[in-house]
Amino acid sequence: MSTWESLVMGFSVAAAPSNLLWAFAGVSLGTAVGVLPGIGPALTVALLLPVTLTLAPTSAFIMFAGIYYGAMYGGSTTSILLNTPGESASIATALEGNLMARRGRGAAALSTAALGSFVAGTLATVALTLSAPALVRVALHFGPAEYFALAVLAFTSVSAVLGRSLSKGLFSLFIGLGLGLVGIDPLTGKARFALGVSQLLDGIDVVILVMGLFAVGETFYLAWCSTPGEEEVVRPKDGGGFMGLSREDWSRSWPAWLRGTAIGFPLGVLPAGGAEIPTFLSYMMEKRLARKPEEFGHGAIEGVAGPEAANNAAAAGVLVPLLTLGLPTSATAAVLLAAFQQYGLRPGPLLFESQPELVWSLIASLYVGNVMLLVLNLPLVGIWVRVLLMPKPLLYGGILVLASLGAYSLNGSIVDVMLLYVIGALGALLRRFDFPVAPAVLGLILGPLAEQQARRALAISQGDWTVFVTRPIAAAVLAAALLALLLPRWFRRRV
Amino acid sequence: MAPASPGGGWDQTARALAEVLLGEGLARVVEVENVSGAAGTIGLARFASSYRGEGDALLVTGLVMLSAIVMNESPVSLAEVTPIARLTGEYEVLVVPAASPFRSLADLTTALRRDPGAVSFAGGSAGGTDQLLLGLLAREVVVDPASTNYIAFSGGGDSLAALLGNQVAAGISGLSEYAPHIESGSLRALAISSSDPLPGVGILTFREQGIELALANWRGLVAPPGLRGPARDSLVNAIDRLVRTRKWQEVLERTGWVDLYLPGDRFGQFLRSEQRRIASVVRDLGSATATGENEIAEMVFPGIVGVGLLVSGGLLLARRGSESRAPGNPRALGFVFMGAVANVVLLEPTGFIVASSVLFVCTARGFGSRRWARDAFLGLALSAGAYFLFTRALSLSLPAGRLLP
Repeated sequence: MSTWESLVMGFSVAAAPSNLLWAFAGVSLGTAVGVLPGIGPALTVALLLPVTLTLAPTSAFIMFAGIYYGAMYGGSTTSILLNTPGESASIATALEGNLMARRGRGAAALSTAALGSFVAGTLATVALTLSAPALVRVALHFGPAEYFALAVLAFTSVSAVLGRSLSKGLFSLFIGLGLGLVGIDPLTGKARFALGVSQLLDGIDVVILVMGLFAVGETFYLAWCSTPGEEEVVRPKDGGGFMGLSREDWSRSWPAWLRGTAIGFPLGVLPAGGAEIPTFLSYMMEKRLARKPEEFGHGAIEGVAGPEAANNAAAAGVLVPLLTLGLPTSATAAVLLAAFQQYGLRPGPLLFESQPELVWSLIASLYVGNVMLLVLNLPLVGIWVRVLLMPKPLLYGGILVLASLGAYSLNGSIVDVMLLYVIGALGALLRRFDFPVAPAVLGLILGPLAEQQARRALAISQGDWTVFVTRPIAAAVLAAALLALLLPRWFRRRV
Repeated sequence: MAPASPGGGWDQTARALAEVLLGEGLARVVEVENVSGAAGTIGLARFASSYRGEGDALLVTGLVMLSAIVMNESPVSLAEVTPIARLTGEYEVLVVPAASPFRSLADLTTALRRDPGAVSFAGGSAGGTDQLLLGLLAREVVVDPASTNYIAFSGGGDSLAALLGNQVAAGISGLSEYAPHIESGSLRALAISSSDPLPGVGILTFREQGIELALANWRGLVAPPGLRGPARDSLVNAIDRLVRTRKWQEVLERTGWVDLYLPGDRFGQFLRSEQRRIASVVRDLGSATATGENEIAEMVFPGIVGVGLLVSGGLLLARRGSESRAPGNPRALGFVFMGAVANVVLLEPTGFIVASSVLFVCTARGFGSRRWARDAFLGLALSAGAYFLFTRALSLSLPAGRLLP
């Protein structure tokens, strides 16, 4: 059967009324958990597993796919409006998106995020449909040395989020790197810097850091540094134009969507990829290419459109190694794999042949889910931006309650809640003294990745440092990192 | 209690047990509590301290917990709890990529004897089942386990990618993880860790190939410490009835878990000997480091980070003092802090709803609200709504509080 025929068959299954209903349930639930900080799609799917056992596998997976995509959408909403990203992948969206919301352009930011997610999700699903097996063969050439190089490349994106002062940005980065060292060293199994607290052995969860620095840190900071009573209510400006985006917004958004997709999908396919690296790389790229670079730091629409597209494209990319090799490369993918196994299905090279109906209806439901999300979210934009009109005492009270709930539910541990507030206090201090917080998060995510991959590469090569330059892909990626750092300077000097 | 987060093997075991216990009427109410972290040792410590002597609590445990207890220097060990039953398990396979020069286990062990560092093994987290198998294998073929080159990956997926991409020489993992790739021919299985050949699995055991090595990644159930007499017996009997039900057999069939049922006392004996064996191999793996390179690298990165912090901090100090800023509002911040502290202190004694409502009211006050009654009402409504959504719809446990019955 050709790809095309298979896909048509997939659509005929996915478009059955009952399956449409499951897809709708999935995207609604996914959007809801995406909005809640700290409760990601992985946890939701895991908790729903026992409940869905009575469903046919196809229906269950259609719903799971909806949750997965829905959560990506939902996550961007709170990041933009409240500067409270619930997971690391939507931080880059929060950077410019929240600044836009503060200037009354929240609706435009939400629209470009929703449309960007749709475009990226659809294009990435097309790429998934057409080229999954071929892509995976390329991705397998990536070993530890290549991942180390990729982490180095991602580190260069720190330069885009440094803020005004180099030394403050670097200090923030090193705080994140330092926090990333806490816990069991995965290569040796030995504890480092855990201070004898057993709850710290698994390290500081990036979700705690993100919620602490952003949601809680912002709340503490606002309580501290804004005068009560003097409510600066941001009236949403009516953007006008098509779907809340002006002609200029459109012309600035669509190239960013495409670039975001181009970065997000391949990096999502890579085993050990995840969505953080592509979102930050996309942010850096948009900042470098922007026609109005001065707008970055004040709410530039490209800074929302690019990373949000990259995020969703990466989410689709993650499904490629999962379906073709049974390789879970993100927390959600790992839970989806467990779901497959519960039904006695084994994703892998044989899944496309043994379960074509399931695979193709899953892929078809991704298209359906994307359309559904767009239809569901665009009209909601107008309602969402009204969240900003809520009285601040209630809004921030609610944010803290939900953040503490998210932190507790990660491991069922009160230590995480304490850690959340301590990091929140740190976040408030950083804000108060004009330190950017994004480098700290990048440090926590990329530090362990760079360290582990470098050490794995060296262990495999038995201590031979030349692996990073003799392996062609690793060398090329490292060269790209060098260019990313040097080119802008060189251009500036020439101009 | 499942000492892991939702979705993992221990959690799935707990939830499958709950399903069968309820479905067969062996219990009226079953609640799954997830306490994750540090390979289950956090859950173990919590279980031992908060359920001491209680006859209605069970903890899912397994092989990985044994080595984690040694490696993390856990204050509580499995010797203190009451063994109830070993339930299920999975065997480990040793594989090489299809293109590998190693055609058989003998090829691999020969190379291992010649230069242990040159044969890189991919597997799961350090000190997990996969590395334990390598340690035991090394001992059997007279190689120092500490000299083996084990590359720990964060999950089965990552190590699988490294194998399929020919990045490493060999890999060790549970059979189910590699099975599709063994079938498709992209991986070659050299040996399986069961003691007897498995029906329907065409892989030679280590023992069939002359190496006295068997290891199962088993899972079992233990009851709290200090449980004796009839209370313990009734738990053992309940599980004995459970494993004989058709529902449980269906679960095993669906999940592919191997039935390794061992009741009460026999599980206790097994646990004691397994504990000795695992503790000694963990010691032999030494610091569980792979190669000499790793030993150095372990503190290299922290060193770089330390220097970076000092340098950037120094730069900041050198430039200090040029900025002035508004005084801020410490009173408002005080209210919010108070809410946070109260939240942490109250969470377990009074439960989630009360603690969150207090947090809500304090935060609202910090942001200038004077309408206590409205804030308290809204806080209560939000917390209660979230509480019931989580505990009922998502069956995730949140602290209910000890004050209310």
